[in-house]
Amino acid sequence: MRRSALIAATLSLGLILTGCNANPELNNDGDKSTNTLGETHKGGTLNIFSEDSDIDFDPGKSQGLAITSLAYVHRRLTTWDIKPGEEGKVVPDLATDTGQISDDGKTWTFTLKNGLKYEDGSAITSADIKYGIERSFSTELSGGLSYHKTLLKGGADYKGPFKGDELKSVETPDDKTIVFHLNSAFGDFPWIASMPAFSPVPKDKDDPGKYGLDPVSSGPYQVKSNKSGSEAVLTRNKYWDEKTDPVRTAGPDEVVFKLGQDASVTAQALISDSGDAKNGFSASFVPASQLAQVQNDPSAKSRLVTSGPGALSYLAMNNEHKGLDDTKVRQAINYAVNKDTYRIAGGGEITGDYASTLITPGIPGHQDFNLYKADPSGDVDKAKSLLKESGAKLGTLKLLVKNDATSVAQAEAIQEALARIDVKVTIKSVDTNTFSADATDAKGDYDLALSSWQPDFPSANGNIQPLFDSSQIGNGNYNISRYSNDEVDALIKKATETVKPEEAQKIWAEADKRIMEDAPVVPLTYNKNSFLHGSNVENFIIGDFPAYPVYFKASLKG
Amino acid sequence: MNRTKFIAYRLLGALIVLFIVAAACFAIFYLMPSNPAQYSCGKPCSPDRLAEVERYLGVDQAWWKQLFDFLGGIVVGRDFGSGAAAIHCDAPCFGYSFRLRDSVTTLILSRLPVTISLTLGAAVLWAIGGIVSGLIAALKRGTATDSVVMGAAITGISAPTYLLGLLGILLFGFTLNVLPIGGYVPLTENPAMWAFHLILPWIVLAIANGAIYARLTRGQMLEVMSQDYIRTARAKGLSEPIVIGKHGLRNLVLPLTTLFAIDIGGLLGGAVITEKVFGLGGVGTLLLEAVSNLDIQVIVGVTLFAAAIVIIANLLADLSYSVLDPRIGARR
Repeated sequence: MRRSALIAATLSLGLILTGCNANPELNNDGDKSTNTLGETHKGGTLNIFSEDSDIDFDPGKSQGLAITSLAYVHRRLTTWDIKPGEEGKVVPDLATDTGQISDDGKTWTFTLKNGLKYEDGSAITSADIKYGIERSFSTELSGGLSYHKTLLKGGADYKGPFKGDELKSVETPDDKTIVFHLNSAFGDFPWIASMPAFSPVPKDKDDPGKYGLDPVSSGPYQVKSNKSGSEAVLTRNKYWDEKTDPVRTAGPDEVVFKLGQDASVTAQALISDSGDAKNGFSASFVPASQLAQVQNDPSAKSRLVTSGPGALSYLAMNNEHKGLDDTKVRQAINYAVNKDTYRIAGGGEITGDYASTLITPGIPGHQDFNLYKADPSGDVDKAKSLLKESGAKLGTLKLLVKNDATSVAQAEAIQEALARIDVKVTIKSVDTNTFSADATDAKGDYDLALSSWQPDFPSANGNIQPLFDSSQIGNGNYNISRYSNDEVDALIKKATETVKPEEAQKIWAEADKRIMEDAPVVPLTYNKNSFLHGSNVENFIIGDFPAYPVYFKASLKG
Repeated sequence: MNRTKFIAYRLLGALIVLFIVAAACFAIFYLMPSNPAQYSCGKPCSPDRLAEVERYLGVDQAWWKQLFDFLGGIVVGRDFGSGAAAIHCDAPCFGYSFRLRDSVTTLILSRLPVTISLTLGAAVLWAIGGIVSGLIAALKRGTATDSVVMGAAITGISAPTYLLGLLGILLFGFTLNVLPIGGYVPLTENPAMWAFHLILPWIVLAIANGAIYARLTRGQMLEVMSQDYIRTARAKGLSEPIVIGKHGLRNLVLPLTTLFAIDIGGLLGGAVITEKVFGLGGVGTLLLEAVSNLDIQVIVGVTLFAAAIVIIANLLADLSYSVLDPRIGARR
């Protein structure tokens, strides 16, 4: 324990070991070749290396994507069909379709497929899905994706089923049918029905305190063992019927989550393609320092899969603070920021494309536009003249940022860029917990903050609403630019309630432009994530959304 | 002062120290800006739900109130939640992790075999390695051997465990490919694989800790070997091994025992960095993850456990003095 104080200082030493080149060049030839889907070979043991020491399979508590860990054991009403180079689609999973909508858009009805069974052979019923949703409302199991909690009628006051209450807005007229009554029309509900809480949970098998260790599986795998700090092993669920499942391929006989792994050690094992790593992949991005090493190693490079442009990295400006409440000032900062040095600080071209919009590429409805056209390095003259026009007197701006080496370097790039227009910036770097507390609390004690956002479902709604709706300021929510505009709130409401996707997408694009006119944030990059897999792994793919691999398609070579 | 009274006083002191440690933990977390409830509120989170979660976790209370609830739990046990989801934590309840769905006591006990295996194996290595190399350096004082051994010791003291660990993994795991790069196999499952997986972490921890022993041994031996009674022992014709072993080394037992007890105590509370680098899920990683997830009850529980181990180790070291050195017992 003597050296525990050195943790922070020594973590960066990992970089030295692996030959630090901060700016690897991207060569797409290498990674495109492996980001393809082929035939699935059955058999073998797939290893997934995770930094987390524990894996909780409780669907109520999960914020997981529909294509990662929990999808091995839990099917939902709908799920995601992800293919390389294509926009993600929502497809039926347990349900026969992606939902039937009522004329007013407020009622959604789903019907279950025939013959669906749990790992114990018992039938999956619509009541189990209702119960799964109900339990996610309880305080004991909160913490998961919660979009449905505000959408469902009566959800705001519902406290879960453990004291005998039921959620009346979810009806199950028979074993196959489930009906949802919403507060207002919501066109993206098929995406909501793909979230973990829409997995079936048999009420008589539920023990809320322990369910996440070994849940009753509806997916292709069931939990064989789950040991904290060590590993979780999944084996085949013989009652899963491939014919009813449009997306899961269930290649490996077993899937082993190796828990509590150091990210840079895992990356090194994958680069060397040694031992367990040959049959595995890492759940974490390749650390920036090791990306360079991968670029220079033909074998590793052929096993690197880099996503397309995904999550939006942005500089939030606190719209409530004096000076920054002036649109011209915020526009000036949009021109002044140097996206080139910012991206170099983060690891270079392979880590992202320059951003100018709020709806990210790969999301249906994304339109490419740039209201503040300039070189990536910025337009200092334009920024200066806008600033002068505004007449605002800016004091020293406090930039809130996470205290890891990359974030601090990125903050310094922002600091240098703004110095060019004589705006002084002090960097306040804090640990991740403090960052999210400071950025999302009621006070908002910062002028600028560096943040990034990946929507929880591939709809422009997920890009815009959480970051720019005035209801999302404070209380742990993510409108950290504290942007509030009635006109935009109305646009968001209108788009949300528009049920026809094409029409909704047009309104979202309009909202995107309208918000950027006010320039509450500076879009910096659409991030690309790079993942490594072992030489014996195939069908390891990343689609246009999310910038994350599809676990349940990965399989092993014969 | 008789021994019973001595132990009683020390235990009383220990309780006071543990109380202060617990109070400090709660106070520090209360003062921090971050809100543990935000982790369990869900995404998106509403103000009502946040308040509910705060109440459920007990973090809406003042720190001293949280402290007394915690202390009360040790005496009479605690209940969390209500209805079908209620959780009971039996006395003595040293906290409950909502994140890991288990009592802190169970969590520590489940992780302890890893930490004990790591610590004790490394301790054997560093005690033997450190003392032997210190002895050699002392006996070959001023020679090249002395310089090499002491140079290595300085490196061992100054190199961070994280660096040593990564270098070890790089060399033995990847370049030479002779040792596994991490993971833990329980001793009861396969003793050979248990040792095989732990060799590298043992060596790393032994290098980091053994260096101090080498320096201490060398320094003490040099001092002792210049004493008159060593000359007398030699003069009466005793062989050199007996002079060194019986008359010289015996003087090192006391300081080395103290250091050894404190080191072992410290590591049993969690060898945080070594565990992390080698992917060993011990008490150290339990604490590390609790900190990053603001799992306050686990933080308090593990901190108290670590403090208790250190206190016990010190107590054992003190008690061993009178056994190892009769003069100390006589004075009491």
